[in-house]
Amino acid sequence: MLKVTLRGLLAHKVRLIATGVAVILGVAFMAGTQVLTSSISSSFDKIFSDVYSSIDVVVRSSNEVETPFGSQRDRISDSAVPAVQAVSGVDAAEGEVFGQIRVLGRDNKPLVAAQGPPNFLLNWLTSPSLNGWNLTDGAAPNGPDEVVLDAKSARDGEFAVGDTISILAAQGVQQFRIVGVAKFGKLDTWGGAQAALFDTKTAQQLVGQPGTFDWISVSGDPGVSQTALTERVAAVIPPGTEAITGAEFTAENQDAFQKIIGIFNTFLLVFALIALFVGSFIIYNTFSIIVAQRTKELALLRALGASRRQVLTSVLLEAFAVGFVASIVGVGFGVLLAMGLNALMQSFGFSGPDTPIIIPASAVISSVLVGTMITLASAILPARRAASIAPIAAMRDVAVESTKTSKRRIVIGALLLVGGAIGLWFGLYGNSDSALQLVGFGAFLVFMGFTVIGPVIAAPMARVLGWPMARFGGVSSRIARENAMRNPKRTATTASALMIGVGLVGFISVTAQSLKVSLVEAINTSVTAQYVVTTDSFGATALPLSLAGQITALPEVKVAAAVGAGFANIDGKAKVVLGTDPAALQQVVTITDVSGSFADLSDSGVAIPKTLAADKHLSVGDTLAVSFLQGGPSELTIESVYDTRFPIQGPGYFINAQLFAQVTPPDQQTAQSIYVGLNDSSDAGIAEARGPLDQLIATVPGAKLQSVKEFTKAQTDQANQFLVIVYVLLALALIIAIIGVINTLLLSVYERTRELGLLRAVGMSRRQVRSSIRAESVIISLIGTIIGLGIGLVFGWALVQALYDEGITSFAVPWAQLVTIVIIAALAGVGAALYPARRAARLDVLRAISSE
Amino acid sequence: MPVPLRVPTPRLSDVNATQTTSPRPAITDAAARTVDACKVYGAGDTLVNALDHVTVEFERGKFTAIMGPSGSGKSTLMHCVAGLDTLTSGQIFIGDVDLSSLNERQLTRLRRDTIGFVFQSFNLVPTLTAAENITLPMDLAGTAPDSAWVDTIVSTVNLGDRLKHRPSELSGGQQQRVAVARALASKPSIVFADEPTGNLDSRSGGEILKFMRTAVDEFAQSIVMVTHDPVAASYADRVVFLADGRVVDEILDPTAEAVLERQLRFGV
Repeated sequence: MLKVTLRGLLAHKVRLIATGVAVILGVAFMAGTQVLTSSISSSFDKIFSDVYSSIDVVVRSSNEVETPFGSQRDRISDSAVPAVQAVSGVDAAEGEVFGQIRVLGRDNKPLVAAQGPPNFLLNWLTSPSLNGWNLTDGAAPNGPDEVVLDAKSARDGEFAVGDTISILAAQGVQQFRIVGVAKFGKLDTWGGAQAALFDTKTAQQLVGQPGTFDWISVSGDPGVSQTALTERVAAVIPPGTEAITGAEFTAENQDAFQKIIGIFNTFLLVFALIALFVGSFIIYNTFSIIVAQRTKELALLRALGASRRQVLTSVLLEAFAVGFVASIVGVGFGVLLAMGLNALMQSFGFSGPDTPIIIPASAVISSVLVGTMITLASAILPARRAASIAPIAAMRDVAVESTKTSKRRIVIGALLLVGGAIGLWFGLYGNSDSALQLVGFGAFLVFMGFTVIGPVIAAPMARVLGWPMARFGGVSSRIARENAMRNPKRTATTASALMIGVGLVGFISVTAQSLKVSLVEAINTSVTAQYVVTTDSFGATALPLSLAGQITALPEVKVAAAVGAGFANIDGKAKVVLGTDPAALQQVVTITDVSGSFADLSDSGVAIPKTLAADKHLSVGDTLAVSFLQGGPSELTIESVYDTRFPIQGPGYFINAQLFAQVTPPDQQTAQSIYVGLNDSSDAGIAEARGPLDQLIATVPGAKLQSVKEFTKAQTDQANQFLVIVYVLLALALIIAIIGVINTLLLSVYERTRELGLLRAVGMSRRQVRSSIRAESVIISLIGTIIGLGIGLVFGWALVQALYDEGITSFAVPWAQLVTIVIIAALAGVGAALYPARRAARLDVLRAISSE
Repeated sequence: MPVPLRVPTPRLSDVNATQTTSPRPAITDAAARTVDACKVYGAGDTLVNALDHVTVEFERGKFTAIMGPSGSGKSTLMHCVAGLDTLTSGQIFIGDVDLSSLNERQLTRLRRDTIGFVFQSFNLVPTLTAAENITLPMDLAGTAPDSAWVDTIVSTVNLGDRLKHRPSELSGGQQQRVAVARALASKPSIVFADEPTGNLDSRSGGEILKFMRTAVDEFAQSIVMVTHDPVAASYADRVVFLADGRVVDEILDPTAEAVLERQLRFGV
């Protein structure tokens, strides 16, 4: 039987190409993602373990706030250092300052883009056992105007010892003299980051917190274990601090980075799985068609004594072989893909100069396993069908795939659809922690439901879609329509592959359009400012909150308000807290009081949005338990319940600027945007104010002045950029679906050799043959596209409804885009038919009519 | 050259065509003929002379049967004359058109407009109804079928109530009747039938042969049929015998017995 399988494989190798390609593409994507992300994360693991290799104990604040970017801790007082230094077994103990800066080039513009590698501010450690940096030139920094630059930044910015350099820190731009250039160990810098090293006092000044350290690093004498030393240190440190081993500290940093890379990895893997899911339809179709075409052969085997199990095994073995080989090839392509992307990212300076590609066994095993399993799973139904072929079928004349549309099919499909709808409903409206998984599973069920029902609706759809062609296109189009209808199962499966890809594209474009329209509406209806100052920087180097005051001081300006964002635990959960001057903000952004007074928010008060108040049954006068990074009150009174259409991230807990300044580290007192209201809001006034505003803003690198109109456009452009990335990632699924169309057409052409020969014999021209195949392809493509867009619209609508409270208030359909998608799908159908149509037209008439 | 036994009646299509086309100089009265037709397959040791200098004529308005043992070249001859295959050397004329002078597109058009086909099996496009199959060549040409003529044929082959059915809903005999109707519907100058009764029981086969006979007698259709069956051949006006790629004999007004006797003589 094995021999039969192998011969079968060889005989069908051409027919199995599409299956192979579908698996290869999906697996390559999957393996490539894993290889790339694990290469990056292992190179960063190494950076962290190198950087912290000399640290045996770390003393740090025990006050911690979880954020999506890892946990944040308060800085600690430098007074703890002497006590730690005195502990026996301690070789050296020094406080470290860690902050964010941007190094400006000679043109006074940031040396690297905001999206590029991070830029760190560090203090120069004096103990050789703790300081991993060694000077290649010059001397250590000593004094408020001295800086040592990492070797890479010095090279990139063409700086040398003795040069003057501008550096943007939380306190604004300052000039420094480069007194030295240093390497970290043998490397120019840590993994592509820019590092500027100052003496401790200057570094503390720059982060705005003199007398504090981010943590204290301790190195022990030889022979003292990290755990033992940590216990001894823990005994002498002040309350509010904790001591952990260097190994734990390294692991924490590595884990935090892994988490970010993990999100990236998951995001990409989702698209790889979508591609594989789409591919499974092609595999299913190929095996169904091969089994149907081999009915006689398989029946003969059965008649000769092969058991059902042997036939089943034979087909599955064939699937296994194809899936396994294709998966291995896919992994190979995946590694190449990862290498290419890595090189690309390095040329953008994203990762270190030397991220070696590592191929984790888990990536290879999981990719091969998933690729093989999906192939096998997709072939199970066709294999069972093969096993159920009766020996008598060998004697029957023509083998046709069964095309009856059973009631059972409708029932199962409907059940799947209902299940999917329930999953979507609970995912979107329920308060489940695994909402995203529920939505994904619901969507999967909906797609499967349509796939199961597909054969029932494919024929009527083909009839309708093919009608104009058949009506006006002559007999070859009529034949095309009939061909699309004759095997609804095949048409439906082929269309389903496309349906998934198009469904997701439609869903995303509808959601994005709704989001954009909502955003524009929200800005239009809520922002009464004339200008918005924005920045491409984040965190410490974004716009200082103090800039709002400077802008307000301009004679043209009536008021300027900034919204700073920090993190706090509220009722035990990490939340974003927004700090602003409420009275000023209310003048540039429409915020209406539902109860209490937003403008009069006190230092111990918090303002919450109407929706949150309703959800949690809170009202003015209630209190919320809070804990901030830097102490502050442990309780806030709700002083205002407000309503606004202003697009605020998160639930929108507002506190006033004074409280925000008290509870947030100075280098977090920044804003992404500042809203500026003018005294003269006429066009002339707006034009007049631009000059002085621009002049003021020029002092803040990265800041940009935008009119509200420009601001709106920039916001929607940002959404568009993200969309393009998602579309590119979905393109693979669409390409695989198109390969599926090509595959089905080729197999159909092969199957209809006799029929095509007959048509050619009675006078169908080659051109008519081609146009007939093309029309069939277009009909199949349109069926998938239209069902897909329908699903996408419904999904998008459901999501938009669910996100109403998050600020997506309008459901908008990008009709032009959807029509474009339909046109592209029709063109893709024409493209997919190119090769099959040529094959069909080239058929040797004589051989075709005489072939059995 | 065999002498025609019946005076050819004018073909309906010719009658219709007189208004639009000027009369052509008739070189011969043959619907199709070959001149020194040779077809060679393979080379060297495996060389096969499928047609070995065959010169034969198929008269207008006559029913000619081609017989011969397997490998005698009868199918090759028919395929070549019908424009489905090309000769290695020699000439083939449909009417006075030299097939070797036609390119692929012109050959397709010739098959569509001037030739009718009936194959042994798989004659119909499974997705089209019987009626659509019958008018297929005209639909492909984009010309309107002569509905009176189609009605005549449909009633002759007795298919009136099956027109809306798909081939899968028709019996083998009915399918072949549809195929004959299609071959006649476009008023071709010649119809080629390749073992049209080969897959049928004798009663259905007899009906098909009667229809073909009727088409020749009443509509002056020219038909060339390849067959193995002496009974089928007996419906023809003339039987041409092929062996080893050559015309070896012929019988006019054959009877089944005469054909069988001749077949035995040539060792079929």
